Amino acid sequence: MPQQKFRISRYDPVQDRAYEEEFDVEVTPGQTVLDALNLIKWEQDGTLSLRMSCRHAICGSCAIKVNGQSKLACQTQVDAAQDRADANGVIAIGPMGAQTVIKDLVVDTTKFMSQFERAQTWLQPPEGQDPPQREYRQSKDSFDHWSHASSCIHCGACYSDCTVAEIDDNFLGPAALAKAYRFVMDDRDSQHDERLEMLSGSGGIWDCTRCYMCVQACPKDVLPMDAIMELRTEAIKSGKTGNHGTRHSKAFAGGVKKRGRLDEATLPVLSAGIRPGAIPELLGYTPGAIRLLRSRKLFAAAKRHGASKEGRREIKRIFEEVEDQKHHDDMDAVAFETLHEEALKAH
Amino acid sequence: MLQHDVLIVGSGLAGMRAALEVAEDPTLDVAIVTKVHPLRSHSGAAQGGIAASLSNSTDQDSWELHMYDTVKGGDFLVDQNAAEIMSREAPENIFELEHMGCAFSRYDDGRIAQRNFGGHTEPRAVYAADRTGHALLTVLFEQLLKRGVKVYSEWYALDLVLKDDVAQGIVAYDILTGQIETISARAVMFGTGGYGRAFRVTTNAFASTGDGVVMAYRAGVPLQDMEFMQFHPTGLQGSGILLSEAARGEGAHLLNSDGKRFMEDYAAGRMELAPRDIIARAEQVEINEGRGVTEGKDCVFMDLRPIGEERIRYALPSVMHLAKDFAGIDPLVEPVPIQPTAHYSMGGIPCDINGQVRYKDQDDKPVVGFYAAGECSCVSVHGANRLGTNSLLEAVVFGRRTGRAIREQVKDLQPAHVSEADAERATTEVDRFMTADGEEKVGAIRSQLRDLLMEKCGVFRTDGLLTEAMNEIKEMQSRFENVSIDDHTKTFNTDLLDAIELGHMLEFSEVIVAGALARRESRGGHARTDHATRDDENWYKHTIAYKDEDGPRLTYSEVNMQPQYRDPYPPEERKY
Repeated sequence: MPQQKFRISRYDPVQDRAYEEEFDVEVTPGQTVLDALNLIKWEQDGTLSLRMSCRHAICGSCAIKVNGQSKLACQTQVDAAQDRADANGVIAIGPMGAQTVIKDLVVDTTKFMSQFERAQTWLQPPEGQDPPQREYRQSKDSFDHWSHASSCIHCGACYSDCTVAEIDDNFLGPAALAKAYRFVMDDRDSQHDERLEMLSGSGGIWDCTRCYMCVQACPKDVLPMDAIMELRTEAIKSGKTGNHGTRHSKAFAGGVKKRGRLDEATLPVLSAGIRPGAIPELLGYTPGAIRLLRSRKLFAAAKRHGASKEGRREIKRIFEEVEDQKHHDDMDAVAFETLHEEALKAH
Repeated sequence: MLQHDVLIVGSGLAGMRAALEVAEDPTLDVAIVTKVHPLRSHSGAAQGGIAASLSNSTDQDSWELHMYDTVKGGDFLVDQNAAEIMSREAPENIFELEHMGCAFSRYDDGRIAQRNFGGHTEPRAVYAADRTGHALLTVLFEQLLKRGVKVYSEWYALDLVLKDDVAQGIVAYDILTGQIETISARAVMFGTGGYGRAFRVTTNAFASTGDGVVMAYRAGVPLQDMEFMQFHPTGLQGSGILLSEAARGEGAHLLNSDGKRFMEDYAAGRMELAPRDIIARAEQVEINEGRGVTEGKDCVFMDLRPIGEERIRYALPSVMHLAKDFAGIDPLVEPVPIQPTAHYSMGGIPCDINGQVRYKDQDDKPVVGFYAAGECSCVSVHGANRLGTNSLLEAVVFGRRTGRAIREQVKDLQPAHVSEADAERATTEVDRFMTADGEEKVGAIRSQLRDLLMEKCGVFRTDGLLTEAMNEIKEMQSRFENVSIDDHTKTFNTDLLDAIELGHMLEFSEVIVAGALARRESRGGHARTDHATRDDENWYKHTIAYKDEDGPRLTYSEVNMQPQYRDPYPPEERKY
């Protein structure tokens, strides 16, 4: 049987000591990383701690990092992990990210789990109205549209790899947002608009950086980032536009549409919008802007170079096509122009 | 010392459903203690469906038919008052869960979809693709969050405290801190799950180590019908990971090495949709007689291809992914090797239709303030063999009934008190593992025990095999006295938990084998090659096992034949 080396990032809470330790395991084909970790735990070192339960990718207990990527240990074949091992063939194992380590591979999931409560991810049927005698009728198409998001097993792999959650405790994170999406789309729920309003606020859908890490990490078919993007569209459609995210999104798209390029000079101004607090916000950008100017990174933007005539035509065509197909939000170009001019004047 | 009015141990479907029901009364203080976070509970692993005679598929179904199927499926050891209640209350429970937001699969007209399942004569399984347990667990947890029910997550209950047949509370171990705590409660309910982990090939989670049944047993409460372990016919080769019965419900075939649909020889009327015990035995016979497949010839094939790719992708995504991820087999292009796998514990803590734990051999004397529901309990609604989709249903129906009973009764119960002295056994046990330097290892004994039960107390049993099993368990129990662990620290010590769990497995395994050895007949999940037929004259009764100094002491109790709304179904020959 082939030997496989694992390098495990460990943490000893008694000594408050983080260290790495290597183990050799005899692996057989078909074995999972969880099997290998258990062989280490049961036969070499019983002090190794990790969570596990169902061992078939439904309970969500055993999310860890394998070669730096968040995965379910039980769902990852040793063979597959081998493909991404280091130059010496060592498979690196560590605890999930964005959360505090308790011991070895066990992290404190309180912060992650609390996001579901913050996002109020439970059905809120119409108040003061009795449910039907039998089931609510629910269109199969609508159910099929969102039901994949209900397959979340709350393992935290997406949260662990989320580039925003890593630095911002206030971000609801991909799992809670995907779950919120599932209720926004569920026609049994009465809080469609209220949810979108809340999700458009701080820590919500506009704080996602679209890095796609969550979709890659998810061991199920939840597609959290796609859910977040759909929520953005849904929020704009429902008129939840009085937020930085929407303004930024519109300014971004509008700038490209108008000039054929991202306009970095007007983007912060348009994103801040016309509202109390916009001026302080913009003033807050000043140090960064000065640094950009000094390093000559704002020059190009300041000159407002645009795309060639031909290029602009092509961009216009793309916008029209996308808008026609309703794949994008129904941004009203005229409304945008007005907003754009007003905002520029105001500042 | 901690205190609540109501304490529920276990956070699967039964425990959460009961907690929600108790929480309906805002004056009651209810808390859940669970060794894994509620969303990690093993209820979530149930795949295929939850039974209810909604008649959404055909309009032929009725609760009577559901009840009859359940009684017959359980080889007539089912308590008929319980089967009646479960069948009658199934639809209202499903609608209630749907109103809570459960993501059930739908028909085009928006109604809940239903599919076929083994042993059910009508398409009765309500489902959420093939992750039904997960959908139900999720929705109950959402409701728990909404109501703000207190959960002691990752607390491991070690002892049930009874005084003069009255529940006082529990002794628990906080896994994060390593502290032993006492929790007093006037009503204690167990929803602690099953005991399949003691078998080598099993669908069960690492957590399914029969903790609740052992706590009850050690406190002097008997255990009922423990010898009835269900072997599921479609466990993935080797690991025994569950491939849902929904696959057969959707039309998968079972094939032997000749490529023959062998169920033709065992249950021609129902083929692959016969009850699980019958199919598991058929597979074992095929394997034993040399018609197995793969290198070890210890499997048969399940062929999903007759279902068609589109339907497999839509209705059986988990089955498809499990076969790919855990066996490297794509069921769209080739058949999957499967084998019988220990799946469901029919036995457990004896209780009535309201979850009240009772000494059924002593005129139904109650254990005041102690309740049980779900897989750890024995109502007995599954008798000698459970039908697929009836376990989620049992957990929900009886979890709800138990919660209601507690809500109504708890104010009449006396204040309870767990003292420091009550924690002595648990403290001694933990201290022993933390300091022991014996030569025996948990992993070695555990794997020996699991091999033993699989080989000598598995699908087919004999007097000789069971006697050997009993002797070996006794020997393992004494070796266990000399066990030591590596981790002697307090924070998240899973090494210690493994040792405690093995102690539980060694305790209940003895009860399983004792019951199986005594029962000289074949009924449902208990098949003896040396007593191959059912013997209603001598064995139409429940096993009741008490803990004595030398091991289990067996007595028996009657099968309930008093349904309220119709005549009972008398035992008949069980043919499909």
